[in-house]
Amino acid sequence: MKYSRVYFDDVKVGDELPAVVKGPIQQIQLTRYAGASGDFNPIHQDDEFARAAGMGGVFAHGMLSMGFVGQVVTDWAGPATVRKLAVRFAAIVRLKDVITCKGRVLDKSSKDDVHLVGLEIWAENQRGEKVVTGKATVALPSRS
Amino acid sequence: MPIQINKGVIGKESPPFVVTVERGKIKEFARAIGDDNPLYLDDQVGRASEWGDIIAPPTFMTTFRDGADSGAFLKELGTDISRILHGEQEFELFRPIRPGETFVCRSKVLDVYEKTGRSGPMAFVQRETSVVDSTNEVVAFIRHITVVRL
Repeated sequence: MKYSRVYFDDVKVGDELPAVVKGPIQQIQLTRYAGASGDFNPIHQDDEFARAAGMGGVFAHGMLSMGFVGQVVTDWAGPATVRKLAVRFAAIVRLKDVITCKGRVLDKSSKDDVHLVGLEIWAENQRGEKVVTGKATVALPSRS
Repeated sequence: MPIQINKGVIGKESPPFVVTVERGKIKEFARAIGDDNPLYLDDQVGRASEWGDIIAPPTFMTTFRDGADSGAFLKELGTDISRILHGEQEFELFRPIRPGETFVCRSKVLDVYEKTGRSGPMAFVQRETSVVDSTNEVVAFIRHITVVRL
């Protein structure tokens, strides 16, 4: 099903998107994300710095987790369909965490040949705690 | 002793900065997230697509940075990088973006407010960046909330 085309007509409110599982998070991935994103905050790289800052050790960039939940949407509907992606970072992601990202259809609307689907998206760690919560909007093609 | 946040930054616009999207940077970013979508990584798939080239992942614009700005902004705010956390992030996207495109980004501070949470007093700094293409069309708004532990 990955990368198949999704039509507006076939989507139902309450539909669940296929989950995307990431991790266990390793330091090398945080280093790689720092280089790719340009976010070199040492709090994600240097354990001593992160402890001195009162964070109890390094943790993942929030934006890495947002990239993960974005993939739930783009694996399902395709990257070019995304009109909005909005998240709140609810809890910190640590090294060795396994992050499961999910999505669910909240609503549908059509106006002037633009067919929008609203999604609830979130990510949880291996203990079932939500680390990211948010919403997305995709514009989908119609069969008619 | 909590630090004082400078609310004088509310409404402040940073000088515009220009970014050009690099092909390799899109691929590096997709791989860093662990997303192997061929529309990000495979030039042939991109060429055959309706976009005529690879496109960037929806969170790619987080790479649009004004290199000189971030440390100076935090200083003006009255804090430093060890105290900040990412609170919220939003991308409103009007079309996909491709390699070789050049954009002008304009950031402003929408609001600064304080709240006390479970882990103590915090300030929330709400900013918005508009991303405009070479034909003066807005292609995206990037909105984010930075949390400062006071």
